[in-house]
Amino acid sequence: MANKSLIKKITGSREVLLAVILILLFIIVTILSPSFLTPKSLSDMLKNNAVTIIMSLGMLCVMLVGGIDISIMSSLALSGMAIGMLLKYEHISGTVLPFIIAILIGTACGFVVGLVISRANVPPIIATMGFMYIYRAMGYLISNGGEWASAAALGEFKDFATSNFLGLNCVIWVIIICYVIFFFFMKWTRTGRKIYAVGSNPSAAEVSGINVKNIKLMVYTIMGLLAGLGGALQVAVYASAMPDMQQGGEMDVIAACVIGGVSMNGGRGSVIGALLGSVILATIARALPLVGIDALWQNTIKGVLILVVVVVNVILQRIADRNALRGREM
Amino acid sequence: MAGKSGRSINNVPESPIKKMIFSWEGILVILFILVNIFCAFFSEFYNLSSVLRQMPIYLAEVFLMLPMAYILVMGEIDISIGSIVCLAATMSCIVCNTGAPFIVVVLTGLLVGTACGAVNGLVLTKFQELPTMIVTLATQIIFRGIAEIVLGSGGSISASNTAGFTAIGGKVGSVPYILFLVVILAVIFAVVLGKTTFGRRVYAIGTNRKAAYYAGIHVQKIRMIIYTVMGTMSGLCALFLVSSSFGANTTTGNGFEMDAIAMAVFGGISSTGGKGNLAGGIIAAFIIVCLRVGLGQRNVHAQVILLIVGVLLVAAVALPNIIGEVKRAVVKK
Amino acid sequence: MSEYVLELKGITKIFPGVKALNNVQFQLKPGEVHALMGENGAGKSTFIKVITGVHKAEEGEMYLYGKKVDFKGPKDAQAAGIAAVYQHPTSYPDLTVAENIFMGHEIVKNRMIQWKAMNNEANKLLKELNADFDATAEMGTLSVAQQQMVEIAKALSTNAKIIILDEPTASLTKRESEELYRIVDKLKEEGVSVIFISHRFEDMYRLASRVTVFRDSQYIGTYDVDGITNADLIKAMVGREINDLFPKPKVKIGKEMLRVEGLSRVGFFKNISFDIRAGEILGFTGLVGAGRTEVMESICGITRPDAGKVYLEGEEIHVHQPSDAMEKGIILLPEDRQKEGLIMSWGLGRNVTLPTISKYAKKGFNDNKKENDLAKQLLEEVDTKAVDIFQPASSLSGGNQQKVVVAKALSQEMKVVIMDEPTKGVDVGAKAEIYAIMGDLAKKGYAIILISSEMPEILGMSDRIVIMCNGRKTGELSREEATQERILELAMEKSTNAGKEANR
Repeated sequence: MANKSLIKKITGSREVLLAVILILLFIIVTILSPSFLTPKSLSDMLKNNAVTIIMSLGMLCVMLVGGIDISIMSSLALSGMAIGMLLKYEHISGTVLPFIIAILIGTACGFVVGLVISRANVPPIIATMGFMYIYRAMGYLISNGGEWASAAALGEFKDFATSNFLGLNCVIWVIIICYVIFFFFMKWTRTGRKIYAVGSNPSAAEVSGINVKNIKLMVYTIMGLLAGLGGALQVAVYASAMPDMQQGGEMDVIAACVIGGVSMNGGRGSVIGALLGSVILATIARALPLVGIDALWQNTIKGVLILVVVVVNVILQRIADRNALRGREM
Repeated sequence: MAGKSGRSINNVPESPIKKMIFSWEGILVILFILVNIFCAFFSEFYNLSSVLRQMPIYLAEVFLMLPMAYILVMGEIDISIGSIVCLAATMSCIVCNTGAPFIVVVLTGLLVGTACGAVNGLVLTKFQELPTMIVTLATQIIFRGIAEIVLGSGGSISASNTAGFTAIGGKVGSVPYILFLVVILAVIFAVVLGKTTFGRRVYAIGTNRKAAYYAGIHVQKIRMIIYTVMGTMSGLCALFLVSSSFGANTTTGNGFEMDAIAMAVFGGISSTGGKGNLAGGIIAAFIIVCLRVGLGQRNVHAQVILLIVGVLLVAAVALPNIIGEVKRAVVKK
Repeated sequence: MSEYVLELKGITKIFPGVKALNNVQFQLKPGEVHALMGENGAGKSTFIKVITGVHKAEEGEMYLYGKKVDFKGPKDAQAAGIAAVYQHPTSYPDLTVAENIFMGHEIVKNRMIQWKAMNNEANKLLKELNADFDATAEMGTLSVAQQQMVEIAKALSTNAKIIILDEPTASLTKRESEELYRIVDKLKEEGVSVIFISHRFEDMYRLASRVTVFRDSQYIGTYDVDGITNADLIKAMVGREINDLFPKPKVKIGKEMLRVEGLSRVGFFKNISFDIRAGEILGFTGLVGAGRTEVMESICGITRPDAGKVYLEGEEIHVHQPSDAMEKGIILLPEDRQKEGLIMSWGLGRNVTLPTISKYAKKGFNDNKKENDLAKQLLEEVDTKAVDIFQPASSLSGGNQQKVVVAKALSQEMKVVIMDEPTKGVDVGAKAEIYAIMGDLAKKGYAIILISSEMPEILGMSDRIVIMCNGRKTGELSREEATQERILELAMEKSTNAGKEANR
């Protein structure tokens, strides 16, 4: 019986398990390479992975309702490229305005995706695949056929990523603010809980009067909003805008969510899980070169990790089910 | 037997010609003609011989669309194939550079692809609970990751012994070998899906997996076969890719899975399973190939072509749904 | 103010192809427990869905406290104080009990969900119901009985004045049923009116003061429970003598076809042994969840048993997957036609030939002509009401769908036919036809296993009856020995014992 309850605890609280893994990871990496656990190193790690960490939140919402969005990095490129070009040709300047514009463009992108999925009943994978092409191409078109906006062209905007507020990098503040907002939104508001309800049992949600279509529209719009924010951050952090930025990055975001325990079938997943999943991925990316493993191995290790996580999950679930059956009185 | 009421049930199918005209495939044929007319007006170089000359690079992806259609009909998805193409291309270049006979190079490409596909199939059949999207997402990263490791810091390799690759890139008269191969394989895949018991079972799995299992269909065996064949075809695609680029790098095959899915879905094969047929997929594939050749001749950027593909894809799925919804709303009133 | 809290008049509801309700009426007095009875498919569930606003009736009026109401959707019914607890709980398995209870009417302050208040409130409700779990438990981890309790708590949390219980005891053990009776009594005391749907006479006698009977989508009558005998009630429900309905032919019982010894599957059933002979109809009954379907699925290779042996015509057979059983002639007609038996969007012909396509194929290529001919022949043999073999299975009524499933089985070489709830959701007329087919199959010398929860059917059709309870075989009765009371006793026996053990 003790065995059973232990397994139940582990499968029951995915977040605890992930936190333990993350701490172990930190300890191992720090032992092998003490330079890892310095404020500068950690700050760089979070800054460089800010886009994935923040966009995991949107993917969490999308996956909670049983959907998927692979168009996000194209929305990111479109919104990032838009502000890059506007800054380059000096139509706008400053820091706040580009952020607002990028977020608006991203939100619009997500809204259109949401409309097509919720109103025209196009399967999410197909719809977002189409928009992955469309938004990426639009990003390319507004770049006048492949121009870059380099650091010099961005003016003071790029300083955002290097400036600090209360001793912490501004980008990290953005991450913190996003996570705090989402933590409250998903746990403490009715709208947030409706997302869970729709994913957990869509037909029951319909019966209890939840507008399932609007919830779906909303999650893709949120995803777009975060993609727009991600676009601005991407441009700021890397001090450049180019039409092919973050190509293929959507898989990282999905991977972060999957590692963080978000179910592909909807209904399961948490903000903390998304955070832990994306930080674990970021830590691995950061740690590999530090501990002397060639960066070339990074992708393979990441892929194997995802596979191991999902397979172990299935095996634990099977054991738990089997134990539950054994316990049944006959 | 019980309750003989003498009721007669019709078993004569409708005329297939009527069905054909009002089907999605019918629309696609018209689109195919329109696209060719458009291309001919758009580019003065657009004619049969230029199309035949320029199409091979785009045709390689049609190899991927064929088994992808089966996977989509089963209601599943495989997004690892672009990476399989990359790994297979890399390995066959490496073997080629050891001076091995060309047949060994071909076998390497096909075997690497098959092995990768079998890995997908094994994981998916042993752990049926897992969504195919997640498993193939993981293997997508792994297969390309292995290719990255093999390619080393340079990130690319070129085939030093190009004779064999040049040979398979050759043509009969003005028709390239690859077109023959695509047509032959397309016919085989279409016939197997549409006319055989195997194909019928694939549709059954895609429409109602549980009922299919209860009816004695070996669901997992069929899935295993299809994912493995998907790998083999990825290997084939890789070989023809190398035959035109004489090398491979870490971005080889990037996004091919999306192109293959787009062709199939544009061809009327629903990603939710059970619907569509390969005739549609093949016509759709040729529409996209012709569009790429035609637009490419006037140096329209690849991104713009992708934009068009994206719009076609979303429209192809969304429009029938919207029309259906509007019809229903009208009927209700 | 009317005498009734709820009154429905002349309700007619039409689904494509069937009249699910035909001019029915119903009256509910304040604070009463009113039983709604009738056979499967009599229209009870549809009627409930009309009351709760899920379905909209084509004709008829509904009055709440004497005032005419017109529900646009489930929300309206909820707001009017009507709550339903369905047979299969419609919950959110990934969310906590408290959330399930308060879904749609969460406790909020400044637009923030008050978790603490909600958990406290939920625990209070659960305590009233004597629940043995906490409000923070995840819904998916609870048993069906516990989930039902949550649904009742949910109804209470909305301050519902009318609560509808749809076959709440169907999957409960005896002890759990007692618990439910107590809860219903309590509701009654608090002035809540309860509509109670059940197949069990026991439930009705214990709880209800009045009973309304539906049959074949029609209203038959409303009676005082004290003033009606068991026999009268059955007559009202069935509408004819049982003998008419079951044309059980006299068949000479032949040699042994199937023998099962000590079949076990952890968590589902244990040590099941039985045998069946050619021409025999073996009834398998017990409460829902007793493990009948699971036993048959193991025999047919859908799932793998952990222990036990299966003999076909005296020889041990090893079945690893469904196709093995089918090749040997053990054919299962699954319980869930729509999910397991048929591919609903496919034409009838294709459905019929699905398990046997390779038989007609030439070198793997389908022979459509041969297939269509065979499908036509088989579908006509079972007298399916269909226009052509290309129309989708979803276009047929339940009874005709079941005939397609039978035709599908007939396409194979059969020795043992296992029919799992073949008349579930089938109207009375079609039921008789299915019984006739069953009789014909027995005459042809097939061994038939009939799984059913319907007592008249089991009593009317079976040569022998095996009774299961909680995964064990609790008895075997011959046709002569079997009575409704004996069977019920055996079907509930184990659960009573299990309850005692658990209490210890």
